[in-house]
Amino acid sequence: MRVLVVGAGEVGFHLARRLSEENQDVVLIESDPERADFAGQQLDVMTVVGNGASLSTLDSAGVRGARMLLAVTSRDEVNLIACLAAKKLGVQYTIARISNPEYYERGSVLSREQMGIDLMINPERECAWETYQLLQSAAATDVAQFAGGRVQLIGLQVREGAPVAGKTLRELGEELEGNHYVTGAVVRDGVTTIPNGDTRIQVGDRLYLLAPTSEIQAIPPMAGYERFRLRRVMIAGGSAEGEFLAEILEEHGVETTILDRDRRRCLELAEKLPRSLVLHADATDLELLEMEGVSGIDGFVSATGHDEINLLSSLLAKTVGAKKVVSLVHKFEYLRLVAKVGIDASVSPRMATVNAILRYVRRGRVMTVASLSGIDAEAIEFRVEEGAPVAGKALKDLHFPKGGIVGTILRGQDIIIPRGDDEILPGDEVIVFALPEAIPEVEKLFD
Amino acid sequence: MGLRRVASVVGLLQVFVALSMLMAGGVALAYGDGAAPGIFLSAGITAVAGFGLYKVTSLREEITSREGFAIVTFAWAATAHFGALPYLLTGVIASPVSAVFESMSGFTTTGATVFTEIESLPHGILFWRSLTHWLGGMGIIVLVIAVLPYLGVGGMQLFRAEVPGPTPERLQPRIAQTAKLLWLVYVGLTVAQVLLYVLGGMETFDAVNHAFATLATGGFSTKNASIAAYDSRYIHYVTILFMYLAGVNFSHHFRAATGRFAYLYDQEWRFFTLVILAFAVGITAVNLGAGSYALDGQGVEAAFRHGLFQVVSITTTTGFVSADYELWVPGGQGLLLALFFVGGMAGSTGGGIKAVRVLLLLKATANEIRKQLHPKAILLTRVGTKVVREDVLANVVGFVILYLLLCLVGAMVLAIMGIDLLTALGASLATVGNVGPGFGLVGATDNYGWMSAPQLGILTFLMLVGRLEIYTVLILFYRETWKRRHSFH
Repeated sequence: MRVLVVGAGEVGFHLARRLSEENQDVVLIESDPERADFAGQQLDVMTVVGNGASLSTLDSAGVRGARMLLAVTSRDEVNLIACLAAKKLGVQYTIARISNPEYYERGSVLSREQMGIDLMINPERECAWETYQLLQSAAATDVAQFAGGRVQLIGLQVREGAPVAGKTLRELGEELEGNHYVTGAVVRDGVTTIPNGDTRIQVGDRLYLLAPTSEIQAIPPMAGYERFRLRRVMIAGGSAEGEFLAEILEEHGVETTILDRDRRRCLELAEKLPRSLVLHADATDLELLEMEGVSGIDGFVSATGHDEINLLSSLLAKTVGAKKVVSLVHKFEYLRLVAKVGIDASVSPRMATVNAILRYVRRGRVMTVASLSGIDAEAIEFRVEEGAPVAGKALKDLHFPKGGIVGTILRGQDIIIPRGDDEILPGDEVIVFALPEAIPEVEKLFD
Repeated sequence: MGLRRVASVVGLLQVFVALSMLMAGGVALAYGDGAAPGIFLSAGITAVAGFGLYKVTSLREEITSREGFAIVTFAWAATAHFGALPYLLTGVIASPVSAVFESMSGFTTTGATVFTEIESLPHGILFWRSLTHWLGGMGIIVLVIAVLPYLGVGGMQLFRAEVPGPTPERLQPRIAQTAKLLWLVYVGLTVAQVLLYVLGGMETFDAVNHAFATLATGGFSTKNASIAAYDSRYIHYVTILFMYLAGVNFSHHFRAATGRFAYLYDQEWRFFTLVILAFAVGITAVNLGAGSYALDGQGVEAAFRHGLFQVVSITTTTGFVSADYELWVPGGQGLLLALFFVGGMAGSTGGGIKAVRVLLLLKATANEIRKQLHPKAILLTRVGTKVVREDVLANVVGFVILYLLLCLVGAMVLAIMGIDLLTALGASLATVGNVGPGFGLVGATDNYGWMSAPQLGILTFLMLVGRLEIYTVLILFYRETWKRRHSFH
């Protein structure tokens, strides 16, 4: 299947890599020859230099035989035109990255359907939602939702004195009979492994757990965290992500402070966010942050347009005692840095976009996928079709690849945390953790 | 400043004033009360003077905004003077100053009167008094804009200068259409009130006069004792309802008439209504507590009804009275005094500071206090969801300060002229706010007839300045307004 990706920026590059790793034929269209060259050398993809909104470029990229076009440049209009053109030329699925809400909100001149675009992704909004979910749990470094929100994935670091530290998964399983969660991946010293019963958990490990949403509250205490309720949040930086986040927080009745160093932007924010306190201040002005009560605040989010300022202000907030600090990080290279320097969690608008697009691209058998920052494994939700290799077999009889593990089985309204004797039946929805190299093998099992 | 253009529009307006005098003349003829010749003579003089002025100068070009201020101010002054002619020429008032006071009080919907004995006045004169209210309530210029579309070119300037409130809203793209719709609502409400009065047993002539005075938030009555002359709960409540409706923004009434009830979404409306209810309950409690009314079912109802009536009457700046509030305990009077500083909603026929300005001032003050806690905060003042711009806010603060200063200076000057302090303050507040009755010797059951000509002259000026919301008049006292080099014509 041929997939056209327009734009080889960070989103396009990352998407192209993911898709080509999953054996898709990717053609990458990029107007900057240097970027196109770079992508061509790094990835197993074809690159075409040119404007993604121009017909001749699309033609030479083979648009007529393509099944899907992903327009992910940073310019909304280019993305819209590329999708419009592709749809007219018979491309089955088109996805556009759109930042300006006026293009996708109800009441815009042309609706998504009229433009023939199957999915519009707003990176800033995706990112704000992810941040909100992260804020809700003091412990989480990553969060993702499956099965329409019934199952949650949570990533957290094991603290000193945590009940789970020093025990193997088998011991834990016996100890916590009937407890509903499953450990899908463990990250230790930057290496991701899919654990088995003999894996012993250590302080400092990052665990990725799946649990029904109703049970998710019980998980942070096991890793050594206190229970937590989000009451007060400060957002440093009035970016689009910051604004969307403030909107979400206002809706949920969280007391929100948002600051920006541009006075005009502050006035805009004050107009759009009637219930938030808007401050005209610098994200790294520690004296002011302390005066406005950053020490002991439930959540601090650094959301300026500059990664360096975000990291710095997050560190400052953490130092003076903000309970949960989330930093907005644009550059993928910086994502690894976040955990190292002691910031609780990070979100990346680009990663959020990649996730949202991958989720859609793989739909069919694959329903949801979560790519997690700072970890190589993915959590993928499959629907089990009649006649698939896994159908009707008990887990212990399946030759599941080493780099993969079945996390949860959803059968009707039931959420099953599987053991070796549990069977997978047609019609089930199954959430699998897998390392990238194991994904093709896992997919075969569900084909 | 094109004085010719100003004179031209002012002249044209007088033709309308003359036409409305003919109506009063008609009423006088119908009742055969002997006032007809005097009124028709007044109409003739006014028409000739107005038409002459219009013909001599003849309006051709657009009106600039500073001309707008001058036109509105001079038009109102001229209207009040010509409107005084029927009183003089029928002989019911001898002193020209008193006649102009009565006329100005009518057009500005103040409702302060120099008459002690009202019921024996000719019907034609009574009707003319009420008609001046009714015309002045919605604004004579708004009426003319509605009728003469060609004035609409510079009409917004006039509209802005005459319609109360910080920022007039448009219901339709064209100012003439907006003016027409507002008048339509006004007429509709008037007819409704007349019908309800007649159903309650009021005589048709009195019903029409009282309806005119109510919808305009004026306060002239055809009875010596005002509404208190009617010992009827029904009439009291109908009057309360329509005084209240007249104090609400007429755009809301228009929307309601077309099926969209927007009242609840307007924070000014919520504030205005809440103030009325809170003060009514407060006054009822104070009066009952002091034993002014009996503590049985009937007494409580009467205490509430009279409390609410006076509260609505003062807040909307109507000035009708159903009970002598000066007999209340000081607590009740004190609460009532506070309402002299509220006024109707913007876009209503009510006078005073206007509810929205009071609301804005309170909010801006709250923000200033909050700013002490968060020195770097950007705090916007909103009415509902709408953000109020800084310059509008500054205008409002300036207005309120001017308003209070005007009341104070007015009271001071009256006191210097030998009037006791309570009366001076009451008269000043009641005229600047276009309320009518005040305190002391100009209280609920008194009138202004005893004052000297200079005192009446001052109050006449205060009524005009209050009705045109201060800026419109005061701008003419500003030297730069008259400098030629700023004129584009």
